[in-house]
Amino acid sequence: MRPSVLVVGEAVHGQLSGPSREALNVARSLAGSEGRVTGLLIGHGLAAASAEMATLGTDRVRVVEDAALTSATCSTLAAIVRAEVEGAQVSVVLLTGSVRYRELAGRLAARWDASVATGATELSPTEGGGLRVARPVFGGRATEELDLGGPRCVVALRPHAFPPASTTAPAAPVERRASPPFPTGNAPAPKVSALESTEVTGGPSLGDATIVVSGGRGLRAPENFRLVEELAASLGAAVGASRAVTDAGWRPGSYQVGQTGRSVAPQLYVAVGISGAIQHVVGMVSSRVIVAINSDAQAPIFRVADYGIVGDLFAIVPALTKEIRKVRGLS
Amino acid sequence: MEIVVLVKPVPDAESRLRPNAGGTELDGEGIKWVLSGYDESAVEQALLLKAAVPGSSVRCISFGPAPRTEEVLRASVALGCDRATWVERPVGMPADPLLCARVLREALRKYPHDLILAGKQAGDDEEGIVPSALAELLGVESFGSVVDLRWHAEEKRFRFQCVLDSGSEKVEAAGPLLIGLQQAWNDPRTATLPNILRSRKATIDRLPWSDVAPLLGAFSAGRTTSQRFRLPPPRTGARLIDYQSPEEAAEKLVKILREEAKVFP
Amino acid sequence: MPDFSLTAEQEGVRDLARKFAKTEMLPKAAEADRLGRFPEEVLRKAWELGLMNLNIPSEYGGSGLSLLDQCLIVEELAHACGGMTTSIIANCLALEPILLGGSPEQKSRVLSPFCGSYNIASFCLTEPSGGSDAGGLLTRARRDGDHYVLDGEKCFITNAPHASLYTVFATTDPALRHRGICAFYVPRSTEGVVPGKEEEKMGHRASSTSTVRFEHATVPVSQRLGAEGDGFSIAMRTLDQTRTPIGALATGIAQAAVDYASEYALKRRTFGKPIAEHQAIQIKLANMAQAVHAARLLTWQAAWTIDHGKTGTLESSIAKCFASDAAMQVADEAIQVFGGYGYMKEYPVEKLLRDAKLTQIYEGSNEIQRIVIAREHLKAYA
Ligand SMILES: Cc1cc2nc3c(=O)[nH]c(=O)nc-3n(C[C@H](O)[C@H](O)[C@H](O)COP(=O)(O)OP(=O)(O)OC[C@H]3O[C@@H](n4cnc5c(N)ncnc54)[C@H](O)[C@@H]3O)c2cc1C
Ligand SMILES: Cc1cc2nc3c(=O)[nH]c(=O)nc-3n(C[C@H](O)[C@H](O)[C@H](O)COP(=O)(O)OP(=O)(O)OC[C@H]3O[C@@H](n4cnc5c(N)ncnc54)[C@H](O)[C@@H]3O)c2cc1C
Repeated sequence: MRPSVLVVGEAVHGQLSGPSREALNVARSLAGSEGRVTGLLIGHGLAAASAEMATLGTDRVRVVEDAALTSATCSTLAAIVRAEVEGAQVSVVLLTGSVRYRELAGRLAARWDASVATGATELSPTEGGGLRVARPVFGGRATEELDLGGPRCVVALRPHAFPPASTTAPAAPVERRASPPFPTGNAPAPKVSALESTEVTGGPSLGDATIVVSGGRGLRAPENFRLVEELAASLGAAVGASRAVTDAGWRPGSYQVGQTGRSVAPQLYVAVGISGAIQHVVGMVSSRVIVAINSDAQAPIFRVADYGIVGDLFAIVPALTKEIRKVRGLS
Repeated sequence: MEIVVLVKPVPDAESRLRPNAGGTELDGEGIKWVLSGYDESAVEQALLLKAAVPGSSVRCISFGPAPRTEEVLRASVALGCDRATWVERPVGMPADPLLCARVLREALRKYPHDLILAGKQAGDDEEGIVPSALAELLGVESFGSVVDLRWHAEEKRFRFQCVLDSGSEKVEAAGPLLIGLQQAWNDPRTATLPNILRSRKATIDRLPWSDVAPLLGAFSAGRTTSQRFRLPPPRTGARLIDYQSPEEAAEKLVKILREEAKVFP
Repeated sequence: MPDFSLTAEQEGVRDLARKFAKTEMLPKAAEADRLGRFPEEVLRKAWELGLMNLNIPSEYGGSGLSLLDQCLIVEELAHACGGMTTSIIANCLALEPILLGGSPEQKSRVLSPFCGSYNIASFCLTEPSGGSDAGGLLTRARRDGDHYVLDGEKCFITNAPHASLYTVFATTDPALRHRGICAFYVPRSTEGVVPGKEEEKMGHRASSTSTVRFEHATVPVSQRLGAEGDGFSIAMRTLDQTRTPIGALATGIAQAAVDYASEYALKRRTFGKPIAEHQAIQIKLANMAQAVHAARLLTWQAAWTIDHGKTGTLESSIAKCFASDAAMQVADEAIQVFGGYGYMKEYPVEKLLRDAKLTQIYEGSNEIQRIVIAREHLKAYA
């Protein structure tokens, strides 16, 4: 029997978040055509987001809307989700992996004594009616697989690990639900301010960055290094360089990745116009995923890379930056 | 202020990771166990609050097997925690996050507290389930990814920021609270040599499993029915993307990074 | 059977040193070496963490460690930078004469305030006229009522420009040789104590070395350690204690060399495979690994012997001599494994060779160690 799935989605600035679309896609593939997919949105100003959710493969959408919910605490969110799930036929609760919604996983599972996993990057039904989940551990250096048993599973997905759901017609019905009374203990309720966007300034530093984009001599001139920086900005990545670049003074020595520069091990390393000399490679080979863009198919960098594009960086890199900005919804 | 810090031993970041013979979990052979990184920040924050609020004390608590759990508790004492409680998990018993939350709830009954601090997630499994599950069981508010945690004595409230995906929220809340810490005011301190030597002699309060198990009530541990642990396959050379136009190359690469490599931001 | 496992306490101590070496020393090692800069901030941090006055009992504000525990720390520190390590442990050398020759009153008068805050001391034995022949030193100590007047020059004195306290060996009469030597502690503030300018060195460039001149420096009799004429014995017994950590320091340098070489050999490819798969390189790495293991075990054994109340003259001389020779060989081979890159200053291995060299020279040159080893060894046959 296919499971019935509840997706707890999220709206950011009134729009359905990207990870919510991804969760809806996962939900539909788990539920198949027999299982039911319910979308749930909690917050305020949810008209657009709920309308979109209704077209993304859901069977029905529920909306719990209240001005007081704009900055709801995790315990409040958990109480609302519980009210939706308890008594209903829901065997899988899918959460987006955003910071706050991931925290819901522990609360819900503790209440229901349910199987739970967070940070899932692969998800499939098992024979016994449970779920098989794969999740990266140790900063992506290894993967753990778990079989979650029923009757109820709670899974928070890792953002951007799944493709988004595609639009279906007709739109599912959207139902407004009354907000249940918020749980109030003896203590005064916490005051949570409205979300303040944090300005992205400068980007992360080489050492801490989860993504690094590095440029090499293939860029030909210092002013072209801008291409690498723009690509990095689109990914929220730190910028690195080969020694050819730092020696030429195109960028300061602090950018140098390699044996005599910095060693980095990000989740994703993109090498642009770098040949892959061993002195460079030893400083980045521990990265989880390596992408190389180089016009020379014989360049040694392709031996250590996971994915490669053989081609002219002056054509490929701007196209890539544009595509990434489009997918990430950056103007 | 009575502060409790939840700490966990995790493999040192430089450990070589290998699956065990059955391929079910990390092979513990040769692994060096250390205090998890965010837990180090939680301990640091607890010690900073203790210094800022006269009359405070800090207790660290960990649920885990011998000998590594006792070792990270001693490391926490060497950093400056006043007391430590080790809830023993029988060697070989799986580390289930909900079991852990239940056990910690029982342990916490013994210790009145105004604030429970934990790392926002563990350095090994990166789950972040235990803190919020424990908060639910205790019936207290919880906040994760917290920075800049301050105590305002006049209002008897904590003030801090939660770093969320697209910005941050400022929060004011009274205790008891459970906070998953992202960063303390300072980088975590290093224990001094005399404190390391002293911590060897510190008393670690022990709660044997046989005392805790009966308190847990009906509870089906092990809803996770099986488990596997795998490493990425060795690199065999790049998969080259074929394309007709730069735009197509870009589109294909982004799709791969999202759906296959799963590293898209 | 001997037991080579470390206690949890020893592992904790070693982990602290390893962390300190990696986070505080290593990032500054190459630059300090290039500039010949004494990294005062690193020493201050080492003092704050209790990594400086390792041999001083805790009642006087030191760390009170066994010699074996000291060796565990020194090896880890030297893995990151030999020069900084020499400067960090120089207090142990300089203060040991006070531990060995000082009265309880002198110890609490000097050691407690000294160890209670960040302070540097230097051990002043070697003179321009000769280091190996310590019995022939020429710095004079003339008795004048309730004080002595010191005149003479010491050279190659570690940390001298930064020290606030010196332990000084001087003779009341050079003709008496060993029997005329007295040991003193002399605060830097004493009039007539003049440290010289920094020496430019081949290696250990993060360590500071200079001469110290004594120009009619007046030192109260109460600052003499032990009786008149005890000085030579105090100096020799001091070196019996501090020689073994030099073995550990050399072992740390050698371990760093074999670590760098092994990592490099697995990555560098020639003729279609990693050079670690060429047998000539494997043999080098195997020999290097053997030398490091042997050096460490000899060092541990010497420390263990002394910790068990024996003088350990033979064991500590063997440890210092073997480990320092091993460090030279291993650092040399590490450069060879790196090929041309090893010869470049941009890579860390040529520094190891320069740093290793000193361990064959100071705290009793290896020629002197071999004289001692032969003498002690032959006793069993005489
Ligand atoms: C002692 C020593 C230490 C060193 N340490 C380091 C170190 O720490 N880090 C480091 O990086 N290097 C180091 N090196 C230098 C290293 O050996 C290489 O010289 C350097 O990495 C080369 O940089 P590169 O890949 O940018 O340049 P190149 O090797 O010149 O490669 C440029 C690449 O760009 C490609 N290209 C050209 N035009 C285009 C185009 N239009 N589109 C796409 N691709 C194009 C070419 O095919 C080529 O593969 C060290 C060298 C020595 C001797
Ligand atoms: C960087 C550095 C730091 C130092 N720090 C200190 C310090 O803090 N305090 C201090 O007191 N000293 C210090 N020294 C001095 C060091 O201990 C001496 O350099 C060492 O003892 C050798 O003395 P020497 O240089 O006078 O050589 P010499 O004694 O002149 O020896 C020259 C050579 O002859 C050999 N030789 C000498 N006698 C014999 C013999 N009988 N048989 C065979 N061979 C022999 C020696 O082994 C050596 O190879 C330091 C030296 C250096 C380089």
